[in-house]
Amino acid sequence: MQQQSIGNTAQGMGAAAVKSQGQGHEPVVLSVQKVTKAIGNKRLVDKLSFEIRRGEIVGLLGPNGAGKTTTIRMIVGLIGMTEGDVKIKGFSIRNHFMQAIAHVGAIIENPEFYPYMTGYDNLKQYARMSEGITEERIQEVTRLVGLEKAMKKRVKAYSLGMRQRLGIAQALLHRPSILILDEPTNGLDPAGIREMRDYLKRIAAEEGIAVLVSSHLLAEMELMCSRVVVIQEGKFVTERALGEPVEKTEERVNVTFRVGDVEAAKTRLIRMEEIRLLGMTPERNEVTVAVRDSYIPRVVSALGSEGIAIYRIEEVKQSLEDEFLKWTGGNQIA
Amino acid sequence: MRKFTPLVVNEWLKMSKKKSFIVPYTLIAAAIAGMLYMMYAFSQEKLGFLDFASMAIARNGLGQMTTLLVIICTAGIVAKEHSLGTIKLLLIRSQSRSRILASKYVAVLLFTLSLFVFSLAVALLGGGLVYGFGSASVQGISWSEVLTNTLYSFIYTVVYVTITFLASILTRSTGATIGIGMFLVVLEELVVALLSRYAFAKYLIFANADLSVYLNGNPPMPGMTLTFSSVVIAAYLVLFLAVSFVTFKKRDVA
Repeated sequence: MQQQSIGNTAQGMGAAAVKSQGQGHEPVVLSVQKVTKAIGNKRLVDKLSFEIRRGEIVGLLGPNGAGKTTTIRMIVGLIGMTEGDVKIKGFSIRNHFMQAIAHVGAIIENPEFYPYMTGYDNLKQYARMSEGITEERIQEVTRLVGLEKAMKKRVKAYSLGMRQRLGIAQALLHRPSILILDEPTNGLDPAGIREMRDYLKRIAAEEGIAVLVSSHLLAEMELMCSRVVVIQEGKFVTERALGEPVEKTEERVNVTFRVGDVEAAKTRLIRMEEIRLLGMTPERNEVTVAVRDSYIPRVVSALGSEGIAIYRIEEVKQSLEDEFLKWTGGNQIA
Repeated sequence: MRKFTPLVVNEWLKMSKKKSFIVPYTLIAAAIAGMLYMMYAFSQEKLGFLDFASMAIARNGLGQMTTLLVIICTAGIVAKEHSLGTIKLLLIRSQSRSRILASKYVAVLLFTLSLFVFSLAVALLGGGLVYGFGSASVQGISWSEVLTNTLYSFIYTVVYVTITFLASILTRSTGATIGIGMFLVVLEELVVALLSRYAFAKYLIFANADLSVYLNGNPPMPGMTLTFSSVVIAAYLVLFLAVSFVTFKKRDVA
């Protein structure tokens, strides 16, 4: 019965609903409902709504000053909201803060600890603040983030990467249902970023924890997230599932051919129906066309029969960055 | 209902894990030793260890210095969380903000108490070592008077500590908080002296904070009694704490 109703709401969202396979039936963990933050006349966040389900990694994207950090701080109750509400596992962060926040693990910006205490003492601080965290649990999360050897060291001797890991340990300590990370890869080196990404994916897949990540590093988001929510000037812009493997053959794809003779290729291609010429780059001997998947072999044989040499056939994929710039108007600094 | 004690333990550890934690205790021990030496070497007065302890613990003895030490040591209890950025991780636990703030205030009071117990112990011990444990008091001071003195001195410190606590929340800056706290302690007498010709001056917290004046029987201003001052102190403490808690609860942590 409950499953049914959840399914219905997802369908009710219509076109906006994201078609990631199977996840539509997972329970909603975080629901942001028309959240608004106004300071004076300025609306930092304006009627923002989105949902996150179990096991999803969702990226909150937006240019600088779009309201990502404000949104995240409202979700975890660090700043108050002017209107709207945030529900975590059904508990309102406004009215039932303690029950709601008990399901949240978070790192807000860089994780900051008491530098004069050891990593273990810092974790112990947070362990004392939640109920039922045993010594074994502390050891368990320490192992998970690979900090066993550093636990006896003072945090001031930690590198940023180590602090980031301690941050994750701290966030996972009380077995949250949702992990909220504000700019988690800020200041990490490529290896650290990759490590972080692997952790998050593993946590989401193995433990079914939902993850909300804010960032403006698009390439990073593309690799990490199953879905992105794009906001700009505090408003919802679009929502997009990433990395959908199934491509429908009816849909046109953009393909670039590198050929021996561009002009000849162009004349030949124009004669074909079902093909739209998108552009050509004579200096690189490239022609770009939009064509159906199933039609590509015919294009190849047509060019072949004209004696036009083909050196490369490449699909031109729009990167998240291109799309992002399109959504947010492009002239903004992302 | 989650337990409150672990939160106080947390706050205590945050203070005591600092290397500088022993500094106030060392300074107090050193001050008492210095006082003891001066009294013994230069004063003709004959003293017992209770006489000495009673003098040492009074506001005019170590009381004011202890107050300054407590101000310096606890100014950061809220402000430091902001400047370190740890406040963000602290407030996203399943604990209400009031409870977190209450645990901080309790930790501050415990720290103050520990300093007073320490001072009293050192003063009694030192006095005993120098003047001998045989004669408790030459001036006829009883144990209960020593304890009353300590209590009044403690209350005096608590008043300033509470003001500092409020300043720590309002300013979010350790430096500013220490500045405000020390400024008030140093200037209290001047303020009272300047305003003493006005009737309202007797309602000022500064005029009432030191209850030990009533031990000698002469109130600082006409119409003031021990009960009057106690009520004024209680009212101010409630006011300061109310402002502290409301501010802390409502604050947007950016």
